Amino acid sequence: MKKNENCDHIKLSVHHLDFFYGKKQVLRKISMDIHKHSITALMGPSGCGKSTFLRVMNRMNDLIPEARAIGTVLLDNEDIYGNNTDVVKLRQRVGMVFQQPNPLPKSIFDNMAYGLRIKGIKDKQKIAELIEKSLKKTSLWGEVKDELHKSALSLSGGQQQRLCIARAIVMEPEMILMDEPCSALDPISTTKIEELMKELVDDYTIVIVTHNMQQAQRVSDWTGFFYMGDLLEFDKTKEIFHHPKEKKTQEYIEGRWG
Amino acid sequence: MSKHEQFSEKLGKSLIFIFASISLLILLSIVFFIFRDGFLAFKENGFFHFIFGHDWNVQDNTFSVLPLIVGSLVVTIGALLFSVPIGFSCAVFLAEIAPEKVRNIVKPAIDILVGIPSVVFGLLGMILLVPYIRDHYGGPGLSILAAIIVLILMILPTIIAQAEDSIRSVPSSFKNASLAMGATHLQTIWNVILPCAKSGLVSSVMLASGRAIGEAMAIYMVIGNTFTFPKSLIDPSRTLTSNIVGQIEEAAVGGTHLHALFGCGLILLFIVFILNSYSFFIKRRGCRSC
Amino acid sequence: MFKRNKILSVIVGIVAILGIASFMVPSNALTATAKTTIELWLNKPQAKVNGETRWIDDTNHSVTPISKWGRTLLPVRFISENFGLVTLWDAKESKVTVMQGGELAGTISEAGSTSVLPLAEKFALAFMKKHPKVRISYTGGGTGAGIKQSAGGTVDIGAASRDLKISEPDLMVHAIARDGVAIIVNKGIGITGLTIDQLGKIYAGQVTDWKDVGGKSGKINVYTREEGSGTRDTFQSMVLDPAGLKMSPACLAKKSNGEIQMSVQSDPNGIGYVSFGYTEGVKGLLLNGKEPTIENVKNGSYPISRRLYFLTKHNDNLLVQAFIAFCRSDEGQKIVSQEGYIQLAD
Repeated sequence: MKKNENCDHIKLSVHHLDFFYGKKQVLRKISMDIHKHSITALMGPSGCGKSTFLRVMNRMNDLIPEARAIGTVLLDNEDIYGNNTDVVKLRQRVGMVFQQPNPLPKSIFDNMAYGLRIKGIKDKQKIAELIEKSLKKTSLWGEVKDELHKSALSLSGGQQQRLCIARAIVMEPEMILMDEPCSALDPISTTKIEELMKELVDDYTIVIVTHNMQQAQRVSDWTGFFYMGDLLEFDKTKEIFHHPKEKKTQEYIEGRWG
Repeated sequence: MSKHEQFSEKLGKSLIFIFASISLLILLSIVFFIFRDGFLAFKENGFFHFIFGHDWNVQDNTFSVLPLIVGSLVVTIGALLFSVPIGFSCAVFLAEIAPEKVRNIVKPAIDILVGIPSVVFGLLGMILLVPYIRDHYGGPGLSILAAIIVLILMILPTIIAQAEDSIRSVPSSFKNASLAMGATHLQTIWNVILPCAKSGLVSSVMLASGRAIGEAMAIYMVIGNTFTFPKSLIDPSRTLTSNIVGQIEEAAVGGTHLHALFGCGLILLFIVFILNSYSFFIKRRGCRSC
Repeated sequence: MFKRNKILSVIVGIVAILGIASFMVPSNALTATAKTTIELWLNKPQAKVNGETRWIDDTNHSVTPISKWGRTLLPVRFISENFGLVTLWDAKESKVTVMQGGELAGTISEAGSTSVLPLAEKFALAFMKKHPKVRISYTGGGTGAGIKQSAGGTVDIGAASRDLKISEPDLMVHAIARDGVAIIVNKGIGITGLTIDQLGKIYAGQVTDWKDVGGKSGKINVYTREEGSGTRDTFQSMVLDPAGLKMSPACLAKKSNGEIQMSVQSDPNGIGYVSFGYTEGVKGLLLNGKEPTIENVKNGSYPISRRLYFLTKHNDNLLVQAFIAFCRSDEGQKIVSQEGYIQLAD
């Protein structure tokens, strides 16, 4: 277990990460620090490795056969790729929201309660309280409080995505990873989710993958620009957008390609 | 659309209509004939006597089928009791746990097993199973146990193949959602994947039970065909289907014997109808939640 | 009940054409050179063919030569078939045709009794050897199937191992052989014989252990044929009916002689009944102290036997009639005894 001393404000620290699918290397020597209570945006053209990098943080890549990570990823100074890591616990600490809203084919209530039950919480009172709290946080409560036992699939796309966020935060994670959470949504729903992120960042550390440069600019504190498996640039969002150091970054931001 | 295209469009449509009507007509006439002769059995023997009696005698001209219904149900349910848990476990293993290499070998093998004619299983049962049961458990060897084992071997590949397909067709997003919330693989399989695959799993069971209850020849070869209620697993018995297959060739045309055999067919039709309606009902319910 | 047409011919002309019958001039010189000699007597149902006594019609013993209008009328089928000619009876037109020579060609399909099966196969082989352009196929299915399929026209010839019942279709019935029904047990069973009475009780389910009939202790596994089987009917009417017994529903049913033979062969406690042709690998029991042999059936001491029949429609074709005539001829009857069945004439 490696210790990183002088960084109390760092939630997650990635150092020299190489990532492979079989023989194909998809990430090269990535190093990045994710700051506590900040929103970090990962940008870049399709296939640049940004989603893979996101999934490194909660080891969702483990599901892919022959996927392999070399390097260190420290969450609160503990190596999540270490031998002693409990992947299940890790995923409870680092929640995830996917590109397509993916509520389970169960009722709204059961979607919310699912993770709690798995965590071992049996007290029905407590489950109901936690669910209400999370739904209120995602401002879904008012919309669904009377139909908690309706199928989650009957909700609109935007509502479904907010349910997925509520489902993630009901587990009381420390970090939330979002993989293009708005790309399947309409502008109004997108705005709601962006506002939600800004509220949530007080309690959580958020990492978001996005194609949408305006979105990155609007919501994030930090931005990393990926290109062909390399992290070309990583800095405060304002710096990246106003004074990019790399030519490729500038071109991408100006919309010349991508 | 050119005139030529219009013509071939029309021709195609009417051909499809004709073929559809023909197959529908054939189906209807089959049902009609089973009903016509089957009802005669109920009329000639009395409804309650035919279903709840237990004598079948051509000489005395009395027919009733309770031992056959019991035999059919015992054998089918017995086979399902074993093959459903085993089949589902195999399917989960193949779809979720087994490495790709293992799956690539096992899956085609199972698909081939699905296509093996049931008589082959019957023959194996007759040559290997029946003497084994006779020597180790007593009785004539010809028994419902032998029939159940033959049926298990016969329907297991059907269940595995179908269940595996339906498990694999569960969208990976559901699986990801569950795993990302910190569920273990096993919890995910149990709480998300199996419930989502429910309609497919149910139809695999229905298909299998249809095969089981409709199987005639393989069962005829190993069940012993006594006209008695089985009191233990090593007792012989007789099923509706094996009764038909055993006697249809010998039954005189237009006689009460033949009608009684059609009556067996009618009861089978009724059982299969109930099975199908049940699976239809479950599937509809499955769709609403999925 | 027997629908076989007795062509007690009223067509005197045909008798005249066939006027080779030796009874007309029973001279020694003639019989010495004749290939076939047939001797018939007025009002006697039996005749002599080459010196051997035969029933003129084995299924109906009232068929005799008669005298009418000062002429002697002979059964034309008996005469012509024994001369190797083919006789056709067209019921629609009440017409008799007698034919000689010509090459036979075509196919004949047969189905029915598995008791007849081994014999029918040998008949077919011999007939096809004689007439290379003829193809004959046989499938089993049991007597019921034989009746149903020949009446329905799916096969040319049905085979039956029992008499037709009144309720059954109107078919022409041609006896082709007699057959005994053997009671078989596994070779390991220590008894050599049963009485008809014991046998009946075993099949009625009143005796269920071998020790009750003098064997080692062990539950008897009783094998029977399905309802409708000709062999089962024979067994029923000759063993169970006289004692007023019913076959127990707990008997294990099989669809053919072969399956019974196989089951009894592998089941150390098995007992079954089969046509004489299916006793290999199993032990045939003495019945009332009599061995199941052809001799004992011939002399009437073995108690279970029956006739085997071919069934055809009334307007069957020349080929089918020629085949049946062959089966019933001396040549065919030789095959009957070679195969372990009993000749009609015996």
